[in-house]
Amino acid sequence: MNPLLDQFAVAALIGGALAFFVVRFLRKRAGGKSCGGGCGCGTTKPVKPGQN
Amino acid sequence: MTPTALEPARGEVVRHVAIAGNPNCGKTTIFNALTGLRQKVGNYPGVTVEKKTGRFFGSHGEAMELLDLPGSYSLQVRSPDEAVARDVLLGRLPGVPRPDVIICVVDASNLERNLYLVAQMLELNIPIVVALNMVDVAEKNGVVIDLMALREKLGVPVIPTVGTKGVGFIELRQAVSRSPLPAPAICAQMPIVLERETMALARQLPVAPEVARGEALLLLTLHDEALDAIAHHDRAIIDATRAAQQRLTASGIDPLSAPVDARYAWIGQVCAAALHKGGAHDDASISDRLDSWLTHRVWGWVAFLGIMALMFFCIFTVAQYPMGWIDSATAGLADFLKDKMPDTDLRGLLTDGVIAGVGGVVIFLPQILVLFFFLGILEDTGYMARAAFIMDRLMSKVGLHGKSFIPMLSSLACAIPGIMATRTIENRKDRLVTILVAPLMSCSARIPVYAIMIAVLLPAASGFQKAGIMLSMYALGFIAAFGMAWVFKKHLFKGDTPMLLLEMPPYRMPSLRGVLQRMWERGLLFLRRAGTVILALSILLWALATYPKPSDPEATPSEAIAHSYAGQMGHAIEPLIKPLGYDWKIGIGLLASFAAREVFVGTMSIVYAVESEDENTEPLRDTMRAEKHADGRPVFTPLVCLGLMVFYVLAMQCISTVAIVRRETNSWRWPLFQIAYMTGLAWLGAFIVYQGGRLLGFQ
Repeated sequence: MNPLLDQFAVAALIGGALAFFVVRFLRKRAGGKSCGGGCGCGTTKPVKPGQN
Repeated sequence: MTPTALEPARGEVVRHVAIAGNPNCGKTTIFNALTGLRQKVGNYPGVTVEKKTGRFFGSHGEAMELLDLPGSYSLQVRSPDEAVARDVLLGRLPGVPRPDVIICVVDASNLERNLYLVAQMLELNIPIVVALNMVDVAEKNGVVIDLMALREKLGVPVIPTVGTKGVGFIELRQAVSRSPLPAPAICAQMPIVLERETMALARQLPVAPEVARGEALLLLTLHDEALDAIAHHDRAIIDATRAAQQRLTASGIDPLSAPVDARYAWIGQVCAAALHKGGAHDDASISDRLDSWLTHRVWGWVAFLGIMALMFFCIFTVAQYPMGWIDSATAGLADFLKDKMPDTDLRGLLTDGVIAGVGGVVIFLPQILVLFFFLGILEDTGYMARAAFIMDRLMSKVGLHGKSFIPMLSSLACAIPGIMATRTIENRKDRLVTILVAPLMSCSARIPVYAIMIAVLLPAASGFQKAGIMLSMYALGFIAAFGMAWVFKKHLFKGDTPMLLLEMPPYRMPSLRGVLQRMWERGLLFLRRAGTVILALSILLWALATYPKPSDPEATPSEAIAHSYAGQMGHAIEPLIKPLGYDWKIGIGLLASFAAREVFVGTMSIVYAVESEDENTEPLRDTMRAEKHADGRPVFTPLVCLGLMVFYVLAMQCISTVAIVRRETNSWRWPLFQIAYMTGLAWLGAFIVYQGGRLLGFQ
């Protein structure tokens, strides 16, 4: 295998893994600002324990 | 052909159906049977209550969205779970459409109590189909229900069902598909003065006219504190409610109890017409007889420990064979790649990173499936409530009640559903204490760590011995959870020990389909996690354990990993973990598994695979057993293995749990406190095992 291609494949896999966590974090953050459920519903704040 | 208004597009949802009922009436069994695998689990907007929806098809093939509402005894709510059920039915929850039909599941063997919720639902002006579930159990108990009379008295379709056997589902689908479905015409008759005040208040409410009466009636039955806490109505409405309550009190009607009395009077009439209890049984029912053993103050404990021991024995013996197959498959794949590819970084990443990391975790899938098989059976049979009951005596000693034990039992599967299950605890302080201690219960993610450590510690031991060690780790988790709950209740959240009010559902034959479905869901979740988070983490860990490479091309793999970023991090925390008997490579595992406990095993696989000069892939257990310090002493001595297990029993090491605690407590204070106290406790536990063991002369 071409050593350059080998290094490129390794870099792409590591970059992909990093991107996975960055996207996951950003998606959670976008969802978390609403109800915290990660569903991106954009509504009210969550209840405190025991309050209803 | 283009769809018309009467003929919806293919697959388009024509009806939103909610499934509601008391806890333990078989709601979820009916939901699962109707929707099969077409389910979606999410959250209700605004609250952290799980929302389970699924699609099913009516008798003419029309698609319907089925929503599984949290179980509740009435619409006068006591917990966040019940509040969600009420808000969905009243159409208050943004983003969740008010249901077009309610399938109200009623436990036929407990008709009188279940009819209270039906009475309230009939006041909501939504078409209702009553699923009279568990008619077989009712029959066995000598309860005879006159269906015609019940239909006549309720004024809505009543379909007898047996959820576990699929009886009555065709009729249920037909009843829900009926078009048009009329709104109920009958409901409990309220005293005339109360009815007048209700209608007057209903006219002032800024809600849809069809829900106004139900909403007004609910407002009138709220006490002062609950009225003050209302955020979804203006002050003017609250004042109008208070004025109406005062007028009612002046005319001799208690607004809080009058609707309840009226509903019970109506239920009395319905039951008098439709419910006939057969000849009184002199003999105790099978449930009662079983309970006399399983909730006995001595035999109850023996049974509980016996069931747990059997579960762990099966985890080690039954799961052993498929684990062997997965191990051979991953080793074979790694060897195949090593044979076919030149020795480059890419080959290293694939074999030592991806295959070692993901394979090291996936191998434990069979054990996790066995655990969920047992938990599913225990839940379905109704044994969980008995376990909570026998635990109540112990729980009351630490200031909590048996209800807190159910989230703790759920945490045996995973702390996340366990922490979410604390929503059923009404008292805020008790709920917080339960949230803080629930992650101390050994979850399924700890199984890989325990299993590998037990395999290194006792490679030739029998299934019984291995199960014994694992059981003792679970017992340590229980003891730590109880001990910390006692400390928190004594110092942090002082308060009275609440009384336990727990419903004991009758014992039922577990539904194999339901248990297998849950195993499938959990297995899929585990594999998805392995294929996403753990795969990505494995790649990053391999990179951290490989780069930067040493400048000397002659450096050995051990020198190379010591030179890498991971090696540097391991060395950095070595002074902290040296008193526990750990070296810097274990330190890498501890650091990496902060995200998720099971990553520890994958990380150790990667670290030793990167370091290995051997072309053949060795099982991790053998590599760990052969691992030596520079002076030739073995790294994984019995004390180190035990200490590591104790560390993982007590440590938080789960980023998802941190996130859920943050969400449930709506603050960062508690998750940070939890990380601090659990990490401290874990370090102390491992220190005592290692140093204490050495003082006693062990290795």
